[in-house]
Formats: sequence, C-alpha cells, structure tokens
Amino acid sequence: MAMLVWAMMGIALWHFTIFIPDRFWGGIVGAFLGALFGAVIIGFAVNGFTVPGQADTHLAAALEAVPGALAGIAVVYFAGVRRGNEAA
Amino acid sequence: MSERRRHLLVLLIVLGLIAGSAAAILTQATKLGLDLQGGVQLIYQGKATKQTKVTAESLQRALDIMRDRVDAFGVAEPELARTGKDQIEVNLPGVKDAERAAKQVGSTAQLFFYDWEKNVLDESCHTNETEINGGQQPVTGLYNAIKRAAKCKITPPKTSEAAAAARFYAFDKVSKKPFNAGLPDESHDAALSGLDNAQKERAEVLEVKPGVLVLRDEKASATKPAPDAWWIIRDDPGLSGTDIKNPEQNFDQRAGNEPIVTFDFSDKGRRAFQRITSQVAQRGADNANPLNPDPVANSHHFAIALDNDLVSIPFINYRENPDGIDGSTGAQISGGFTITSAQDLAKVLKTGALPLKLELISRSQVSATLGKQALDQGLKAGIAGFAIVALFLLIFYRALGVVATVALAVYAVYFYALIKLIPVTLTLPGIAGLILTLGVAADANIVIFERVKEEVRAGRSVAAGLAAGYKKGFSTIVDANIVTLLVAFILFILATAGVKGFAFVLGIGTMLSLFTAVLATQAIILSLRGTRVMSSRSALGAGHAKHKITFDFMGASRWFFSMSGTILLIGALAIAGKGINFGIDFESGTRITAPLAKAATVDQVRTALAPQGLGGAKIQTVNNKDLGKNVVQVSTDTLKPSGVGAVNKTLDQRFGLADQPNVESIGPTFGASVANSALIAIIASLLVISIYIALRFEWKYAVPVLIALMHDILITAGVYSLLGREVTTSTVAALLTIVGFSLYDTIIVFDRIRENVPRMPSAAFSQIVNRSMAEVIVRSMATSFCTVLPVLALFLFGGDTLKDFAFALIVGTISGAYSSVFIAAPVLTHWKDREPVYCTRERRIRKELGFLPAYAVPIGSAPVDVAPAEERGGRRAITAPSDPTDVSRAEFDAMVRDLGIQEERQPASTGARGRPAGGRRARANGGRSGGGPAPQGPKPAGGDEGSKPKKPRNRKHGRPR
Repeated sequence: MAMLVWAMMGIALWHFTIFIPDRFWGGIVGAFLGALFGAVIIGFAVNGFTVPGQADTHLAAALEAVPGALAGIAVVYFAGVRRGNEAA
Repeated sequence: MSERRRHLLVLLIVLGLIAGSAAAILTQATKLGLDLQGGVQLIYQGKATKQTKVTAESLQRALDIMRDRVDAFGVAEPELARTGKDQIEVNLPGVKDAERAAKQVGSTAQLFFYDWEKNVLDESCHTNETEINGGQQPVTGLYNAIKRAAKCKITPPKTSEAAAAARFYAFDKVSKKPFNAGLPDESHDAALSGLDNAQKERAEVLEVKPGVLVLRDEKASATKPAPDAWWIIRDDPGLSGTDIKNPEQNFDQRAGNEPIVTFDFSDKGRRAFQRITSQVAQRGADNANPLNPDPVANSHHFAIALDNDLVSIPFINYRENPDGIDGSTGAQISGGFTITSAQDLAKVLKTGALPLKLELISRSQVSATLGKQALDQGLKAGIAGFAIVALFLLIFYRALGVVATVALAVYAVYFYALIKLIPVTLTLPGIAGLILTLGVAADANIVIFERVKEEVRAGRSVAAGLAAGYKKGFSTIVDANIVTLLVAFILFILATAGVKGFAFVLGIGTMLSLFTAVLATQAIILSLRGTRVMSSRSALGAGHAKHKITFDFMGASRWFFSMSGTILLIGALAIAGKGINFGIDFESGTRITAPLAKAATVDQVRTALAPQGLGGAKIQTVNNKDLGKNVVQVSTDTLKPSGVGAVNKTLDQRFGLADQPNVESIGPTFGASVANSALIAIIASLLVISIYIALRFEWKYAVPVLIALMHDILITAGVYSLLGREVTTSTVAALLTIVGFSLYDTIIVFDRIRENVPRMPSAAFSQIVNRSMAEVIVRSMATSFCTVLPVLALFLFGGDTLKDFAFALIVGTISGAYSSVFIAAPVLTHWKDREPVYCTRERRIRKELGFLPAYAVPIGSAPVDVAPAEERGGRRAITAPSDPTDVSRAEFDAMVRDLGIQEERQPASTGARGRPAGGRRARANGGRSGGGPAPQGPKPAGGDEGSKPKKPRNRKHGRPR
C-alpha cells in the first residue's frame, strides 16, 4: 500500500513541474520518471528497504515521498541543464 | 456492386438477423448465473499429494470425478470449470445447503483401513499392539495432539499415503486455537501465508513428520458435533478406497436399522481384508485377559478413516471370526451416520477418491430472493440505460439520432439473442457489461455524427458530409474499439470468474456494436440520403455552429495540471491516512447476510454469537426491503462450513430465519490470487495498449496515454479511499474498463492531432493541438456523456454490486474525459514541442509575430492549412456521384480528394453535358461497363464550359426542364 502512496505523491508533485521552465532531461516525461522513481526509491530507503502493507501505512508514508520526488525532479532538471537543454 | 445495392444487401442482412434473433429469443432459455437465481459457488485450490502433482491432467481428472459426484447428487445445470492455474470452480444453482454441497463435491474421499492396535502411537511414539487401542485414549484438543505428534520421528511405512509428507499446522501461541481452520499445509511458509501480520506474530507452527498421522476421533452419533479428540497413529494402512467396489447405503437390522454403508472388495482388497482381520483376531485371542475372557471386551480393532477422520473402529470378534473375515460378502461401515450422510458417503466412494487434495478457498451462497432482486435491478438499469442514451441521441442528432436509436434497439435484440444462443451465463457483472456496451455502441455513432456535422458545417452538402463522416470516423472507431476489445480480452484471460463474465459480454458487445452502429446505420442513412429529412441540415442537428471554440487549451493546461496534482495529493494523503477499504474478495473472510424473523439489535446478535468466538465480529443491520425488515450482516475471519452452519443455526434458534441467509466465504489464498490477477491484468492492459498506440500512432503518443491512464486509476483509488467505499473484484473490473474508456477519449483527440499534423506544415505543435482540441472537444464530451448516462442508470437502479461498479465507472469516465484533454494532450505537446522541427517553427513564428498565438494564423503568404498529400496506388475506383442533383461536381471532386481515391474516367458522354453515356446503369456499373476511358470527364462547374450557367435537368430524361 505504501508503494501506491509513494507513487501517487510523486505523480501529484510532478504535475506542478509545469510551472518550471522545461529544461528537464527527457522533457516533461523525464520529469515524470524522476518524480515517480525518486518518490519510490526514497520511500523504500526510509523504510529500510521494505514496503509497508495496508495496516502499516500511515500519513507519514505520504510525506516520506515528498523529498524523494523533489530530489528526483531536481536530478532530472540539472541533468537537462548540463546537457544544454533550453527551455522550450 | 453499386452503393445502393450494397446498402440494400446490408439492410436485408440486418432484417434477416432480427428475424433470426427474435426466433432465438422466443425459443431459447436464458442461462442465469448463481448471483441471479441463487445457489452455491465453491472454489477449490488443488494441492499436490505424494502420488500426484498439480498438473492440467490431474486437475482435469479431479474435475471429472467432481462432475460425476454432482451428477450423482442430481443438481440441475451445474457448472464446473477449471480457473487459473490450480483452481476449480463449482457452481450449483438452486442448492441451498452449502455445507453439504462442499462435503459432497470436494471431499478428497481418501478411504483407508488400518490394523488399529498395530498403529496407535503412545507418548513415546511407540506402538503397543498387545493392548487394546494401544493402551491409549484420544488426546483432547488439536494443539495438544499435534504437539505430541510433532515429537515423533519414525520411519515412514512404505504404504503411507495420507502422511507421506510432512504437514505443518499453525496455532495461536496464546489461545492454542488453530489457524487455517485446523487444516495442515505443506510447508512452514504456506502455513503462515494466509495470516495477517498480527496473527503471524502470535503464530506457532508445528511440523508433523512423515509417517505420523493425526486422526479425529469418531462421532458419538450422527447428531453430535465432531469431537475435539484426536488419535496419533502410524500411517500404515492395510487397504485403501481403491480396493473397494459397489458402495451403497443400507440399514443394519441388527442395530435397530441404523444407516450404514456397505461395499464389496476387489479381489486384491478381499485377500488383504481377510489377512488383516485374521491378524487382528489372532492378536485379540492371544492377548485376551484370562480373568475376563469376554471376546467383546478383548477383541482388537480394525479402523476405517476417511479424509483424516475416523469413521468407525469395529472390533474383530476372535471367537466368531478366528480366521478373520472373508471379504467375499463385502463389509460395512457403521456408526454415526444419518441416512443422508450414509448416502453421501456411498456416492462419494462410488465416484472414487480425488487425485488431488482440494482446499476450499471460497464459498458463496446466494439466496434465491437476492438473486431475483439482483436480476430485477439489472433489467431495470438496462431499460433505463437504453432509454436515457436514446433520449440523448434524439435530442442531439435529431434525424440521425432516430437512426442511431433504431440501431441501438437492433443491437439490444442481437445481443440478447447471442446471449441465449452461445449460451452466455448471464451474471450481474455481465448485465453491467451489457449496459456499458450500449454506451459503446452509441459512442461509435456520436463519433460519426459529429464528423458528419463538422463536414456539413465546413460547406459540404449533407450527402457528401454523410459519406465523409463515415469514412473518416471509421478508423477512429476501429482504433478505439480495438483498445476496448484488448482490455476485454486481457480481463477474460487473467481475471477471476466474476469479472470474466463481464469481460466476455463487453467483448461480444464491442464487436456487435461495430456491426450495428457503423454498418447498419451507414446502410440506413446512406439509403435515405436523397430524402427531404436527410437532406436538411437542421434535421441532422448540423446547423451553423453558434460559437466557434477559441479556448487556449494548451495555455490553460498548467491550471488543469495544478488541479489534477492537488486532487492526487489529497488522494495520496487519504490512502496513506485512511487506507483503502478492501472487501472480503481481497482480505478474505466470511460474510453472512441473514434475514431474521424477529427484530434484533446488533448487541443482541453479538451476544448470541459470542459463545462461538464471534463476539468481536463486525455485525451490522442492513436496509434491504426485498430481503425483509430485520436483516443483519455478520463479517468475520474465514469460517469453516461447520462454523457458518453454527452461526446460521444460532441465528435461527434465537431470532428465527425469515429466508435462507446469503453467505460469502473467501479463504486467504483466494483473496491473494484475486489481488494478483487484478494487478497482472492492469499491467498487461497497459503494456498491450501502449504497444498498440505506438504501432498505430507513434511511440511518443503512447507515453502520455500511459500517464493519463495512471492519473485516472489513481484518482479513482483516491476517491474510493476518501469516501471509504468498499473495493471488490467488481471495482477492479471497473478500473480496467476505465482504462478502455479513457483510451477511447484519448484516441479521439490524438487521432485528430495526427490528422492535423500534415495539414498544418508551418504551425507550432501547441497550435496544432489547440486546433485539434477545438475540433473534437464537443465530440469528446458527447461520447463521455453518453458513456456516463448508462452508468448513471446502473448507479441509480442497480443493486449494491452494480452500484459499486457504477460508482468507479462514473469517477473513472469523468476523470478519463478530463485527462484525455487536459493531461494526455498537454504532455504530448510539451514533449513534441522539443523536437527540432517544432522548435524551429515556434522560433520562426515568434520572430515574425513577436509572440506565439494560441491558434495558427497566416504568416505572409503561407497558408495555415494545406490539403494533405493524396494517397496514390491501387485504391478502388468509384463512380460519379449517383445523383448530380445531390452532389455538385465540386463537392464530388473534394470528396474524391478527401477520400484519397483516384477517380476513374467516365464513359464518353452523350446527350446532356456532364452526364455519362448509358444513363444510370452505366454509372452504376462504372469501370465494369467495358467502356474505355472517356476523353473527358464531367467538367466542374466554374470550369471553361461551366462558365455557362447550367440548367437543371429532368431527372428521368436528362433534358433541361
């Protein structure tokens, strides 16, 4: 269940990247993947590389995904900047 | 064949099929599923034994034996089928006693005969064959018995079957009560697999080694419950069920006509029986107490065990049978039988033992009242769905709507006939699928009609608009329907039984709708296109558009993105905080819905059930007038059939049962398999759909589609969590249907983008998308609205199951329509905008105009639109328009250009200018007439000769009027 929450938070936060100039590596889809995988990987790491089930998923699980999603988006953005992507 | 003849032929086929369908409807019976007529559904999972692995063959053998048993019990129209890789589903319509049905159909019926004293183990795990019963008493409590058996390590006898492999029992460490209904599993992990985390922490798993068998003691009498007393024995049977024949129920006249089961032995069995009984008798004689020589008190025993339960332990009187019992006259099993249970055992023994161990993982019992109620609700929802869709079509498309409604009625007749002819077992999810396909069929017409309106508004004649609408709309419909078919196919292959019915109906309906909504309506409409009604723009609802859409969809997309992001955030927080309310389909458990004769409060029911350990069960009253005034629902952990029987009995004794209770019992294994199959079905659907979109469009179109689909599914999950609605297998089917419908919408939008890309060679991608959106937004909204209408009927008139299903569909369809326009298209735009060709165009536009307009505008002499390149090659030729008064030459040329078809030259004209030689027949025959290419075709109005005004011609003679 936590996996669903992390993925959902990552995708939710990705929606707001529309306000950032599109210099992402892979464009808006790159940002999507960055947010999704960032949220899931950090959520997974924070929980000791286990995925909490329905009974063990609390509000904190949603918050755990935030730094991961942001970090994922940032990584993809700076990768795009390094490659010389210009804002479309 | 001429166009008119082709249409006539199609109409004749339609009429012929209607006649055939009517005959089928009147003569064939409708096959109703259990949920619509009441009955018992049992789902078993095959487990390997020492002798047999779980393979397709062994499952089929088990299925055949189970079918024989069901036939022997005389159940009308039973359905038995293999489902999944290791499951067997048994549907028994009309059967009311689920407990008895489960025993009859699924008992392994492994019958073994033991030399009793030679096998009973003492506390030190040794046998003591000189003592009666090995000097032992049965152990009270399963935990104590297993604990003692777990200490024994013996060399397994070669004949061991029931205990050939180690068995693992899970118990609650604190209460010592068994988990998994006290049934053993084949491994430590398997014993824990069905438990939740809390149970796992409290669980103690005990292993009973091969060769050691724990048997439940025999019942004191038929009416007494099975005792919680257990024997621990060495598993060394002398005979098995394969050594007997002709089992029958009889009466033992020596014991007051007590019901018994008699049987004969096979030759091998007879010899073995005599040998063993002789040994038992001899041992009894050898060890008789000299002070009390009563043979009854001193005789040793011969035990009969069926499926790990002792059936009886008769003694062998060593005085009467010093050489054992000759098996030629057969033998009998007595003790603890009622007439019915003796008959059942005889029948089970007759059909033979099952080759596999079958574990009952799901058991549902639907009362006939609830089934009838569900059928009524389903029919009501279907009629309402049809009426509401027809009303929408009539209001929006007027004359075209009348034709579409007729086609919808034809579709309904065909579908009903097909259901009877195939025959399809009609279930509640199947009815939902049927109602949904009404929306699919109407959607196909909407796609075409909107295209027709568009063409007519663009300046074409009605006739040309109709032809172009069907031509251009068809490929969109095929794409969209193929996606729905793919989803239906994946659901049918991967999903569980209930969802399968829905998928099958959805698949058939989608294919049928292609015939009725496209071919049949085309034949009707194009046959009528010369009529006054079909020539009138207003009658088709194709008057001039009042408002031209100029909304900047792409510019506003950031606000729609923000809205979606916020909804998803709320959904994620809701799922994290509140979780998802999974139904017992996923969580496993037992749910009993019982209509009571007397009113009872929740506390009274709880108090009544507390002695059975159900004090902590979820108990609630249910408001269902059809079931009765006092309906209670008890939800608890999975109960064994006997447990369900005990609850029903208690409720009957305390409050009286007004009708047969509705029981749903799902084992943990079944819940897990339902969840797994749902997950696999969703992933497989997404993959297959992506591949299809990538092939039909471009791979970059597939990614936004996937993102939009995830968006829809997650939003639906979030809404379910927020509202706390129960997620069942029907919800999963609805989610997968959402995938199909969301794609339907997205494909409509993407299809237009694909069409406009070559038409706008100097526009930025966002301008192409804005233009495409403006062109299809009405169509997209109309199809979504038309899908929501029957779903709304399901929600309003369907029963509880259909309501849940409809709710997910309403949320998903609205989200799907929204995401197609405001998520998929903007993502595609942002992604494609980065391609060098579109970057260059955008830079050029900004350089020329200083900004990027939302919609393409002419820059310099370059036009916004160009005609797409015409297809070349061997396309079929078409004749001149069948009636020049319907279609002008210019329109005809435009149609030829639009359709990408090379015009075939007309025969040399004679008589009136602009008309082919030979009149209508020659025109109709076209290229087949043998007339070579004409030196010149009909000249377009406005050409050299066209500068002279044409006079209207007499239709019959071709002369000026």
